[in-house]
Amino acid sequence: MNEQPVMVFKDVVKVYPLPAGDVTALDGVSFRVDRGEFISIMGPSGSGKSTLLNLMGCLDTPTSGDIFISGTRIGDMSDTELTNLRRDRIGFIFQYFNLFPLLNIIENVTFPMMLKSQKAVDPEKGREVLRSVQLDDKLFSHTPTELSGGQQQRVAVARSLINNPDILLCDEPTGNLDSKTGDGIMDLMTELNRKGTTIIMVTHDAHIAEYSRRTVRIADGRIVA
Amino acid sequence: MIFWEIAKRNLRIHLLRSTLAMLGIVIGVVAIASMGILGNSLVLSVSDSLHTVGDSVIVSPYAGGGSGFGQGGGGGGSTSLKITDQQFQQIKRAVAPNIAIPVLQTADIMKLGVGSDTIVAPIYGINPDDVDKLLNLKAGSYSRSESGCLVGSKFADDHNVQVGSRISIGTDGDKGTLRVTGIIEERGISFDISTDSAIVVTQNWFDTTYNRNDYDTVVVKVNQGVDSAVVKTTIEKQMNKRDKVVSVMDSKATLATIFSAFGAVTTFVSAIGGISMIVAGVSIFNIMMMSVTERIKEIGIMRSIGTQKREVMSMFMYEAAILGIVGSVIGGVLSLIAGYAISALLLKTTKYLFVWSSATPIIEGVCFGIVISLACGIYPAWKAANLSPIEAMRHE
Repeated sequence: MNEQPVMVFKDVVKVYPLPAGDVTALDGVSFRVDRGEFISIMGPSGSGKSTLLNLMGCLDTPTSGDIFISGTRIGDMSDTELTNLRRDRIGFIFQYFNLFPLLNIIENVTFPMMLKSQKAVDPEKGREVLRSVQLDDKLFSHTPTELSGGQQQRVAVARSLINNPDILLCDEPTGNLDSKTGDGIMDLMTELNRKGTTIIMVTHDAHIAEYSRRTVRIADGRIVA
Repeated sequence: MIFWEIAKRNLRIHLLRSTLAMLGIVIGVVAIASMGILGNSLVLSVSDSLHTVGDSVIVSPYAGGGSGFGQGGGGGGSTSLKITDQQFQQIKRAVAPNIAIPVLQTADIMKLGVGSDTIVAPIYGINPDDVDKLLNLKAGSYSRSESGCLVGSKFADDHNVQVGSRISIGTDGDKGTLRVTGIIEERGISFDISTDSAIVVTQNWFDTTYNRNDYDTVVVKVNQGVDSAVVKTTIEKQMNKRDKVVSVMDSKATLATIFSAFGAVTTFVSAIGGISMIVAGVSIFNIMMMSVTERIKEIGIMRSIGTQKREVMSMFMYEAAILGIVGSVIGGVLSLIAGYAISALLLKTTKYLFVWSSATPIIEGVCFGIVISLACGIYPAWKAANLSPIEAMRHE
């Protein structure tokens, strides 16, 4: 069966017009991500990794070329449509966890769910997901600042999974954790991928990249391997 | 709703900052509302003082004309301009069926009993047939006898005069002695005759004593349902055909002018209060901008995980609304207390405070506070909502 890819990049170019002259961050990037893949994207600083991640996360649109997320072309979408796409189909995991300090753990995790349903949600779903990322029940009513880095990243993973996204985009997910905690998070990611979650991860760390099943290398705005 | 909750919690963790912003709104509302209450109480107070004026039209000789009037007149008259009997008859015919009452006025020295000091007081002469149409008594009865008189309530209080007391008019009582038959109700400020500190005698006694055959003023009591402005115009048309010989004052219109002036003063002082509200608004704007700047990264994260612009905007507008509503309501309550204190201090009474018209400035102040808060929250909220998620997430 020929299943639709989760993400397709077709000859994507991204140019930033700057006063000193245009800067081409991505130059004709093409690749596809199939459902269930675990991809790491590696490359030196300034290679275009962040631009690629922003485009994959629908935070930006390409200067030319096409991007399809679950078959939907994002180039012509309005800000509202892109926002809905991010909310419903994409999960984000950041290096610095980026939890909301004013909300407790359950509220942080169910936040994207509330955005989707536009009403109060059953916290039980949040508890379920938090348990699936192996977070202790006693921590659910705490605020993010009361948790360790590893615990916060588990909460961030739970938040990214709450709306059952098609893709999980991870930006240096272990970059702010010690190696042992980082390995714990990567074990969790591997487990999520084994259960069918598609993961795309940007990292500098070759050891972390080994957890993925495919590595895409980028340099000077082009995919080199 | 989660954004309402976030707004509340953000204000709570910045309690001092939020309280100070709210304090600005409280002060603004108190300034506007208490000034409004004071103005309203002032209007009600003056209105109460003038209520006896009713609908009347006062005709007096035109001071600027200098011709066409009987000169001289009776002794003691303070002006040489008078209204002749012929002119009075013309006025009477012109305003019929409304009642025209001629009034004579002078001031003279008098003595209230043996051994008492000599005083000077105004004396009005009014026809006994008309006096009950103009004046109400609080004690005694109207006098038809030429030796009887009425006294104003303040006159009675100040000089311990009662019904039956005797007043000698003129030096050593050379103009005769009058017996007090009634005490006139307090009239306060009035446009026609001010009897509170005066005595009122019969027209005949006045004419005889002061050798008068003309009048100082004609008061036209306008019947119910008749427009006093029309009566005024009728008199002017009749009397001032060629030259201006009389001045005609419509008490109702004059009252309206007075109240309009009070309204303008109230608006002016409330506008000064409004300036403090504008300052409070700037404070809210400043605090909201600080809040946005502090939370740029948080806004970027929210946007990246699927929060719409309008939802980000609502979060900040909720903050502005909470500051505005809580501040304005507290200000509304405090303005009642401030209004009470100001009324008690300046007007010496608080009886005008708990009336519906006093609630209007409070409602206006509260609404203005809320509107200013919301208006000052719009730009920061809009700015937050329109941040680029990528730029916002990079913010440190």
